[in-house]
Amino acid sequence: MAKPGLDGHWRGIIVVSQALRDAGMEVIYGGNMTPAEIAEAAMQEDVDVVGLSILAPGYMKLVAETIEELKKRGKGDVLLLVGGTIFEEDIPTLKEMGVAEVFRPGTPLEDIVQFVRKHTPAGSSHP
Amino acid sequence: MKEIKEVFLSGSGIPIKRVYTPEDIADIDYKRDIGLPGEPPFTRGIYPNMYRGKLWTIRRFSGFGTPEETNQLYRKEYELGQTGFSIAFDAPTEAGLDSDDPRAGADVGATGVPVDSLLDMEIMFDGLPIDKVATAIISQPMISGPMTAMYFVMAEKRGLDIKELDGTTQNDITTALGCLYLADQIPPREQMRLCIDFIEWCEEIAPKWHPVSFDSYNYREQGIDAVQELGLLLATAIAYIEEEKKRGRVPLDKFIRPFTFNMGCHNDFFEEIAKFRAARRMWYKIARERYGTEDPKCWQFRFHAQSSGCTHTTQEPLNNLIRIAYQVLACALGGAQSVHANGYDEGLCLPTEQGMLLSIRTEQILQYETNIINTVDPLGGSYYVEWLTSEVERRTWEYIRQIEDMGGIVAALESGWVHRQFMEAMLEHERKIASGETVVVGVNKFKLEEEPYKVPIFRPNPKAAEIQVEKIRRLRRERDNDQVARALKKLKEVTLSGENVMPAVMEAVRAYATVGEICNVWREIYGLWRYPVGA
Repeated sequence: MAKPGLDGHWRGIIVVSQALRDAGMEVIYGGNMTPAEIAEAAMQEDVDVVGLSILAPGYMKLVAETIEELKKRGKGDVLLLVGGTIFEEDIPTLKEMGVAEVFRPGTPLEDIVQFVRKHTPAGSSHP
Repeated sequence: MKEIKEVFLSGSGIPIKRVYTPEDIADIDYKRDIGLPGEPPFTRGIYPNMYRGKLWTIRRFSGFGTPEETNQLYRKEYELGQTGFSIAFDAPTEAGLDSDDPRAGADVGATGVPVDSLLDMEIMFDGLPIDKVATAIISQPMISGPMTAMYFVMAEKRGLDIKELDGTTQNDITTALGCLYLADQIPPREQMRLCIDFIEWCEEIAPKWHPVSFDSYNYREQGIDAVQELGLLLATAIAYIEEEKKRGRVPLDKFIRPFTFNMGCHNDFFEEIAKFRAARRMWYKIARERYGTEDPKCWQFRFHAQSSGCTHTTQEPLNNLIRIAYQVLACALGGAQSVHANGYDEGLCLPTEQGMLLSIRTEQILQYETNIINTVDPLGGSYYVEWLTSEVERRTWEYIRQIEDMGGIVAALESGWVHRQFMEAMLEHERKIASGETVVVGVNKFKLEEEPYKVPIFRPNPKAAEIQVEKIRRLRRERDNDQVARALKKLKEVTLSGENVMPAVMEAVRAYATVGEICNVWREIYGLWRYPVGA
């Protein structure tokens, strides 16, 4: 779970990380990192899921860079999730880029947990 | 009698009775505990006539894109009737990074205005009456010195007398190190040094300026309650005073006099009002009884308040207009000196023009149409409000004691205690949302399948980074780089020697050193702090 770029609002990433932990998943909290750092950590830790939390409008570029960096390291197939203040009209584009799902503010935490469970190999969720 | 809930609690968990009577406030003495407005203990207001004498300032925290665009925004806000400016810096600037830092990229101008040097400050305030309208520089400790220096040098260049300049610099350590991640921060004790250096220097050269505005708005955004918010706020102010006491360079009366505060205004209408009233009474006790100040200006809890962003939803954004209206009403009934009403689109984006207009109108309608300003502290004497004010006060003293017992706010930040308080609160809030114990209309109750309407959204200029990078590169080519180098060398010397850093910061700013270059001097000496969050 990471925040690409410099936006420092951490409330979302903290509560979602905890909800996933409470659901029995192993969560690595990266905090603020560059896209390259995120991809590096994803590769080192061999994760199944990468969650990005962004509460700033420059997310398109940051998500695109993260995807590129993940692909460079052979992690282009992780389940990529994005949360934060994402404009609804951008969601289709993000999905075309490879984002599996976008979770905007107000999403019940349980929905996120269920989504991860559903889309990762059972019993080995390692986001 | 059967009621819709088993127990009725305030936002901070205080059990509230069905009805309050004179018996509930029998221990409260009017003269000792409430008093007249403008007189100790200031419960009813810091001035005798409050809004009858001067309406609260309409001051929106704003900025985006480039300094040029923000200048246009500020001109617009001023035309619409805003009476104070408040600078929202972008994430790189707030962290003390330049727009051409490799990490800045997509964040330049995205959530605030980039200010790399004096040049940008000058552009941002071009044509604006800074001698008539006060500006709040919402900056964290590392950039408070450089940003304020830029503002002062800009004012000087316009022929203004710094000694007459009115405005505020936030300079709050708990916000910077407890409330959000800022890149490349120096550790708490070293930041405190910068905070106090700045205050001491500012009081000398700009006596009308407020060199600190303790900012519990941001603490509250972490999910804590009114008691925790007020407790952390006063504990932070106490820490600054204790620091100056240790230094012994400035008499406490002079040190404390220009302090201001910046609070949130959350959902529990009456509790927020009680919080503001309790704050005034408590500050009086701290400034006068605890620290022995004699100047009555030291005893006045001067504050700005902002509608709490964390209560605004992404779903059904127009509902936020209602939330904000109630919150701003509470700010006014609570006696704030300056108020920011958020844009209703807070849960979606930076304010659109429509959001900006409505937030200014929200305050103007309150000021001019409702007559609430006709009398001071209209809720004074209410059995409920007086009881609640005293109860919030009592609980807040206990919270402050906890913080003092662990060595004060700096120790509490270093150890991660503050962060754990915040994290517990955030998680508790989510638990209550999931269970329905906390209701958010349109989100976990009365939720519609489809969003019933669309609202316009605001996207800042995607070219902001490009523009700023080009500008800063040109600046670095055109300025006198020898002068900059000398100034930064001097800054390093005084930082190491323990002298006040500000005169050297001023010289660096005059030479058009960038905020990143100035902050890097401190980073090289003090190293970077790791936030105790997450792993």
